[in-house]
Amino acid sequence: MTSIPRWLAQIAGICVALSTQPCSAALNDAGAGSWQMIVLSGPAQVPVPPPVATTDAAYQSELAAIKLAQANITSQQRQTLDYWNKGAVVCWNRILLDLVARMDLPPEPNDNGTYSFPSAGAPFAFPQFPFANPPYAARSFSYVSVATYDALKAAWYYKYLYNRPTPFNADNGIHAYTAASDLPGYPSEDAVVSAVSAALLKTLFPTAIDEINQKAADQRQAALLSGKASASDIAAGVALGEAVASIFLARAGSDGMKSAIGNQGQWDALAEAAKARGEIPWKSLEVPPRPPMLPFFGQVKAWMMSPGDIAAERPGPPPSVSSPQMQTELAEVRSALKHLTRAQAAICYKWSDGASSPTPPGHWNFIAQPYLDRASFSEVRTARALALLNMSLHDAAVACWETKYAYFNPRPTQLDPNLRTAIALPNFPSYESGHSVISGAAAAVLSYLFPSDTSYFNAQRDEAAISRLYAGIHFRSDIEVGKDHGAKVGAYTLRFAQSDGADQQ
Amino acid sequence: MPVQPLRAYQFLIRIAAFTIPCCLFSHAQTLDDGFSVPAKTLYSSSLYTHDSWDHYWQGSLRRTNGNLGTVTTQNNTLLATYGITERLNVMGTVPYVWTNASQGVLNGLQGWQDVTLAAKYRLITKHLGRAGTVSAYAVGFWGIPTTNYISDLQPLSIGLGARRAGGRGTLHYQSAQGWFLDGSVAYTWRGSVKLDRPYYFTNDTFYNTDIVDMPNVVDYSVGPGFCRGSRMAQFVWTKRITQGGGGDIRRQDLPFISNRFISSRVGGVVTYPIPRAGGLVFRLEYSRVIDGRNVGLASTISTGLTQTISFKRRISIP
Repeated sequence: MTSIPRWLAQIAGICVALSTQPCSAALNDAGAGSWQMIVLSGPAQVPVPPPVATTDAAYQSELAAIKLAQANITSQQRQTLDYWNKGAVVCWNRILLDLVARMDLPPEPNDNGTYSFPSAGAPFAFPQFPFANPPYAARSFSYVSVATYDALKAAWYYKYLYNRPTPFNADNGIHAYTAASDLPGYPSEDAVVSAVSAALLKTLFPTAIDEINQKAADQRQAALLSGKASASDIAAGVALGEAVASIFLARAGSDGMKSAIGNQGQWDALAEAAKARGEIPWKSLEVPPRPPMLPFFGQVKAWMMSPGDIAAERPGPPPSVSSPQMQTELAEVRSALKHLTRAQAAICYKWSDGASSPTPPGHWNFIAQPYLDRASFSEVRTARALALLNMSLHDAAVACWETKYAYFNPRPTQLDPNLRTAIALPNFPSYESGHSVISGAAAAVLSYLFPSDTSYFNAQRDEAAISRLYAGIHFRSDIEVGKDHGAKVGAYTLRFAQSDGADQQ
Repeated sequence: MPVQPLRAYQFLIRIAAFTIPCCLFSHAQTLDDGFSVPAKTLYSSSLYTHDSWDHYWQGSLRRTNGNLGTVTTQNNTLLATYGITERLNVMGTVPYVWTNASQGVLNGLQGWQDVTLAAKYRLITKHLGRAGTVSAYAVGFWGIPTTNYISDLQPLSIGLGARRAGGRGTLHYQSAQGWFLDGSVAYTWRGSVKLDRPYYFTNDTFYNTDIVDMPNVVDYSVGPGFCRGSRMAQFVWTKRITQGGGGDIRRQDLPFISNRFISSRVGGVVTYPIPRAGGLVFRLEYSRVIDGRNVGLASTISTGLTQTISFKRRISIP
């Protein structure tokens, strides 16, 4: 930990200049500053001023502060360190998963049979903001993941631009309470991740502001105590992270989400349009009837698909409710419920992902987490994996919702009022299955990231999809068309991934 | 579901050659009473129970739910109590349960629930002369689900899917005139439950596991009554409370298996021997939840028959 890491760091810097990839640089993804951005115009869009030299008295006093803190480290601080050492990006993904499950509660009916909508302006009033339903969750996961990824690419750019070593590489009196690395320290990647995650989560989940602030503060303190970030590394990282977050929050403020609920007139128009096509329009089977879930989420901005792409990939119409095929498919649902085995019921509950769950997008993040834990990726490559996954999940949710409300098709239980389902009935149209579209996209992206487990991801996708038929809430067409649609949506993200520069490192 | 199994026993009827002690049938079926079965005697019962509620407590909020309507849980319970000695009885029960919600689209569930085995031991009997007698009982019980039934669709699951073990202490006072008073306290340890899903959210916490720790349960009951022979009437008050752990039902969410709960019930039970039916005793019980937390405001009616079979060797006198 004395001269050798510094020597390696210098080699790493030279490697970047020569565009070659010796092992340490490859491990650190030293070239990530040049990987393609998603929302930012380039890595230098947010300026980060140069740091003072390691010989500077101000920096030396920062190192002294770290030594003092390390000399007095408490067991509780060690626990916090161990927590964050699992990886900043994955830790925040887990925090987000928790928040989604906590906030995934549909509003309760008012005494007069109406429902109130959560209000971002009064998040603590019941029903609390947000109702983290599947589209809201997909969008939330994607904003945090993509913003973190763009911010880390910018951080990597500045790290290798300025090449200031981390404190434990700059001073052998500082202990590394983390894996040794020659990744440059300025700006701190932990601070970037904490700032960008916290800023977005506080807007997306405002009732949790206090604990989000606490997590961010804990993480920065852990980065300092671990010996990998000084006060100025952290300050620069926080400034970069917050600036990137504000760019993403501006996008979120105008991405169409505010119009996704619609109003009574628009909901009625959806039903009228279905009637005009000669179909039976979807209706809520909740008591009292609940407005459809986010009927205009299909117009929310996607990441990798234009509105034209969304329209172009929309599958053709479902079998007409009056067609023999629909009768056949309804009979299949009846039969599935009647002959439901215990093993099939277990699949229904595994994938239920209804109220108080991380939702299907969260379920796929949950599936990805252990892969990321084991992958030994750099933080920026971990962020890329989650960004790719969650862009595809958000785009799948947008594309699926666009399809659902284009056709406004009834669920099996609406066509056969005697059907009884194995799990709670989602309150939105049937065609096509959200689980199937989301899982189709997720399996495609995870198979690209971890190709040796493709068969596992595909099996999970198929299980998620068929669980909805077993449960009696979807037709065969909803599932088969949905999986195929999901794969097509995922392909947009894959095309980006294959040319963003990361595979060429 | 009629009380089928009893019919098979009809032809096995034996008239025991001993005097039925007072209050024999009170509710010797249950674990919490202050009665015991004579030695070498089997009490075999079949009980039908109908429990329903439309109001329930979501935490402390009393409400209805249009997506459930009235939730009805019915069961047929087979129950046997055998007197190994006059002081030591063993018991076993297993209910077949089926559920239904009158509104909404959720399917009711059905199946054999948990088998419960118990041993009941009379610790002491103290005769107070003309004031009557006081007895003390200790009961140990153990229960396990008979099948891997679905426990994760509360309130329509047929049970909680948890193994149970516990102990109960009961004091029984009996007057010479037939008045009696039971007082009983029990503690039930409940084993963890494995879900079909890999995570769950309850008690304000996201759990990254399929294993659910179940809070234990304490219950108390007090029941004054009167009996003569197999005729008995008793008023019963019971309170059940979870101990440590468990969260409230979340707003507009379905209940979760490990929810904490409080349930206070009042009710009554009567037993009456059916004339010329070879010792068959009819039983009728009604109770109603009067206060609670995370439970239904349930009305419960239970009815059934108990048959006595004595295995005592009859001595023939020439």
